Amino acid sequence: MASGKILSSEKGTAITMRIAAHPQLYSPDGPAPPELKGGRCRSCGYVFFPPHRYGCEVCGAPPDGLEPVSLAGRGVLRSFATVHFHQGAGIEAPFTVGSIVLDEGPAIHAVLTCRTDEGLRSGDRVRSILVTQGQDGSGNEIVELRFEKIGER
Amino acid sequence: MKTLLDMRPVYVVGIGLHRYQRLSDKTYVELGLTAVREALNDCGIQWQKVESVYHGTALLGMAATRPMLRYLGATGIPMAQVENASASGSTAFRQACLEVAGGVSDVVLAVGVDKPEMPRLAAAKAGIHDLAGSRIVPFTHFALLANEYMSRYGVSAEQIAAVAVKNSRNGANNLYAQRQKARRLDEVMAGPPIAGSLTRLQCCPIGEGAAAAIVASDEAIDRLGIDRARAVRVIGSVTRTERVYGDGKNWDAELTRETVEQAYRESGITARDLDVIELHDAFTIEELLYLEAIGLCGAGEAARLLERGETDIGGRCAVSPSGGLLAMGHPIGPTGVGQIAEITRQLRGEAGVRQQPNARTGLAHMVGIGAVCVVHVLQKPQ
Repeated sequence: MASGKILSSEKGTAITMRIAAHPQLYSPDGPAPPELKGGRCRSCGYVFFPPHRYGCEVCGAPPDGLEPVSLAGRGVLRSFATVHFHQGAGIEAPFTVGSIVLDEGPAIHAVLTCRTDEGLRSGDRVRSILVTQGQDGSGNEIVELRFEKIGER
Repeated sequence: MKTLLDMRPVYVVGIGLHRYQRLSDKTYVELGLTAVREALNDCGIQWQKVESVYHGTALLGMAATRPMLRYLGATGIPMAQVENASASGSTAFRQACLEVAGGVSDVVLAVGVDKPEMPRLAAAKAGIHDLAGSRIVPFTHFALLANEYMSRYGVSAEQIAAVAVKNSRNGANNLYAQRQKARRLDEVMAGPPIAGSLTRLQCCPIGEGAAAAIVASDEAIDRLGIDRARAVRVIGSVTRTERVYGDGKNWDAELTRETVEQAYRESGITARDLDVIELHDAFTIEELLYLEAIGLCGAGEAARLLERGETDIGGRCAVSPSGGLLAMGHPIGPTGVGQIAEITRQLRGEAGVRQQPNARTGLAHMVGIGAVCVVHVLQKPQ
């Protein structure tokens, strides 16, 4: 389901929106850095990403024992690797992925804003950012959440 | 709960393979029959004596087993197809061992056959969307682990790549291996780069093949006149799945550690007793990570072990003497069974140029996406 800010054109005819590439995981709007949608177990406190409503992996609590939780989009870069060979649409090699430990605990994988690994070091602080990834068939802007090294810009 | 040693003894008595190779026109039937016939010849028994079959395959599709084995004679025996991702063959072998050890059958075939195809992971249908999931394929997952390992322990990319040098050397002496060319370090490092520090030769090849192992009870060995001197006992069989480990813990290594530790307890051995190891070296970094989890050395020390020649054939413990997944190959279904074949050869003293001297105890280790880990311990009876 598309959701997001409506951007009306100058002439007031075409209405386009900003759409998240992964709407289940983040909103295309809101303050920076964009938050990630995670999950939390009310019974044992386990915080996880990506979110789901299946049950708690740690204590086995059923779906109604889980609740959504917002993750601040800040963390530490544990490791990174530049991918040189990729089959599949949506992104072209080379691109760099990182294994990131969010401040709230979950370890996630994300695409980084830099194409190569120059200047990256294990232990760098990183934060989320929405990056434009073109438009869909109706002219809506697609944004994707990636991570950037803090202090980069 | 019972362990293998609590039940009646089970032995590997026959092994056979079809060489692992690039995708060819050979049908899976031909690949499988080649391996099974070689295993039957190896122990000198007829197909009619096999009482049950477990067939490990990840990619062949539904109902591949009887359509392959019927041509040995349609004997009506029980057959089950087993899938556990990369550990499919290992799991088929486990089931065969349990069936003999548990007294249900006396002679069981474990066979693995596969031909390359694009795998379709069920987890993709779980309705859980991930941020970068589809962009992190196995070689990228391990490139991330290699990056972390290098940064944490001060190990270089060359020290990790050296695993491929050793395993290619072993593979060059293995007629069943897909890659039979010994490679120098500069060749391994020369690329093309796949992800992070991993170059093409640091990743296992894609291919097809088949491997078979026949397991039997003492009663069958006597009844069928099988050469007891060539029978190798399976003294441990353990499988575990991934749990939620603490932050910062590498789940691949933790899962291996838990599974191997249980195997040691159940089989009454320690890492020091191992003469031969065949493990899941689909990527060079894995051999180092799993050797540490297996307890051959401490954290961050595996690269030094390799440099000192301690994991060479002739060293303290021969690791991947077959060439491993890197050089022997990883057609998936066959892989775990092929490891059992190599360890059996080693413990029989029949590994020729690849022989680890005085090999008596061996460990086979596979992991599969999911994740699952399967470990077997084999030992030559005195």
